[in-house]
Amino acid sequence: MSRSASVPRRNFDQERRALPFLTPALLVLCMISLYPLIQGVSRVFYAYRALTQETVFVGFENFQLLFQDPTFIRAFSNSLVWVVTSVGMMFLLSYGLATMLNSEHLRLRRFFRSMTLIPWALPGVVISLIWRYIFLPNGPLNAALSAVGVAHPPTWLTNPQLALWTCIIANVWMQIPFVTIMLLAGLQAIDRQVIEAAAIDGANYLQTQLHVILPSVKKVVLIVLTLEAIWTFNSFDIVFVLTKGGPGSASMTLPLYAYQNAFMYYQAGYGAAIGVIILLILLIAVVFYIREVLE
Amino acid sequence: MRIHPVKRVLLHVAVVLAIAVLAFPILLLVFNALKTESDIFASPMGVPTHVTWENFRLVLFESSFFVNLRNSAIVAAATVILAVLVTAPAGYALSRFRFRGKTLFSMWLLATQSFPGIIMVLGLFTVLNTYDLLNTLPGLIIMHTSFSMPFSIWLLKGYFDKIPVELEEAAHIDGCSRLRSLVKIVLPLSVPGLLAVATFSLLLSWNEFFFALVIMRDNAHYTLPVFLSRFLGSGGVVQWGPLSAAALLVSLPVFILFLLGQRYLVSGLTGGAIK
Repeated sequence: MSRSASVPRRNFDQERRALPFLTPALLVLCMISLYPLIQGVSRVFYAYRALTQETVFVGFENFQLLFQDPTFIRAFSNSLVWVVTSVGMMFLLSYGLATMLNSEHLRLRRFFRSMTLIPWALPGVVISLIWRYIFLPNGPLNAALSAVGVAHPPTWLTNPQLALWTCIIANVWMQIPFVTIMLLAGLQAIDRQVIEAAAIDGANYLQTQLHVILPSVKKVVLIVLTLEAIWTFNSFDIVFVLTKGGPGSASMTLPLYAYQNAFMYYQAGYGAAIGVIILLILLIAVVFYIREVLE
Repeated sequence: MRIHPVKRVLLHVAVVLAIAVLAFPILLLVFNALKTESDIFASPMGVPTHVTWENFRLVLFESSFFVNLRNSAIVAAATVILAVLVTAPAGYALSRFRFRGKTLFSMWLLATQSFPGIIMVLGLFTVLNTYDLLNTLPGLIIMHTSFSMPFSIWLLKGYFDKIPVELEEAAHIDGCSRLRSLVKIVLPLSVPGLLAVATFSLLLSWNEFFFALVIMRDNAHYTLPVFLSRFLGSGGVVQWGPLSAAALLVSLPVFILFLLGQRYLVSGLTGGAIK
């Protein structure tokens, strides 16, 4: 035992000794991510034929069908809008809030910071349910709009132009705490003297933001936004609870459409094909994310 | 630095406004839980005029709430324990040992965060089926543990990195094994990190919806988020009073734990990303 400890820095048997510590994690990883990934992806080559009640090998047929399926095309473009606008709004609002929470002129900073986190503790389903209630035709939002004199407030959840946006608003609201706290930590890590030096050199507010503050928090911003993009792209709860993708396919996103195919229409292969498309798009984000984190 | 008094007031107004926007929807939930069904839509924004506990009574005594609560509690508790048992040694290995495939392992770990739920679920059906874990709580526990792993291992590695190796070396010379020094020296010094992992895993497991929905087949195995979603039915009338009461009851335990563990979670989260 002590022989290995006497030469702690250069150990050639480190691998042998690291393995027992890694084994539990490796087991879970293989069982829950490696094998299912291979198994799940392999489903895309099969389709269930209702007529013969058989699952047969179909090659790339599922992918060919995808690109002729208007609902898929709609879900695809919706997903892009859903991710880009969600993450964009999250960043702008959270960055503003984090900047204010970081201000040395703010009293009760600690208290406000804790309050910001509150939505984070709620289950996604609960948050989605609250927003579904807020957007009801006779719900609080329309009551407020009527009160300020809007004659015919829209039916948010069933209006094809608005349905996706209701989901985006709920999603942004739900994610603001996480993004804000991460950005705030990044801002707090900046040396105040650097900012003061910029002020002494005559930099105005915008110049300080663009040339001093933003470059300092660049890494945190990139990591957080990439993570949020991944989560939002994969997100299921909000659209499922708020609109179920409707009306029609107006607010359909890829994960929800994949779920519907696999678990409601018994087309696991088709659902898996949608999943593979999601995976391919996310791989780009993941490569970027891993590079930033491991750097 | 100086600031104009008007600007200072505006800053406070803006922050209070932002907090109000974040808190108001939750306040609505509390109000609705205490209102009668007709009151809910008579004044959708108002404070309850006649407070009623009927909604809570319905949820607690005339629904399957306690069955689903039991499932959620078992899954969450087991996930927390399993997550700590699995991620602490792995974080230790990443922090203390050099080994082949270390980068590959880290990359794989980070990449799992992005795997689409649908692919995993379709693949897992076969796995869980093989081990008879479909429609069982252990199946869900293992999955939630795996979701918690990337963040938790990363966070603990960061914590262990900060603990001087010299502390352990002394123990090794005295004949202490690696595992013992992890348990006796490193872990006691990493309690905030372990609490962060526990809080994170608990929130994750308690709130997770998609896999809990897809893996379970009957109400006896559903967890609380699925229980909640079933209030929506299929296009029928939604009873917002009982639903709000149920949503509040589901949120309360994690909310309290979150308040207690918040400090550790925030420092754990941000510590890893800033460094």
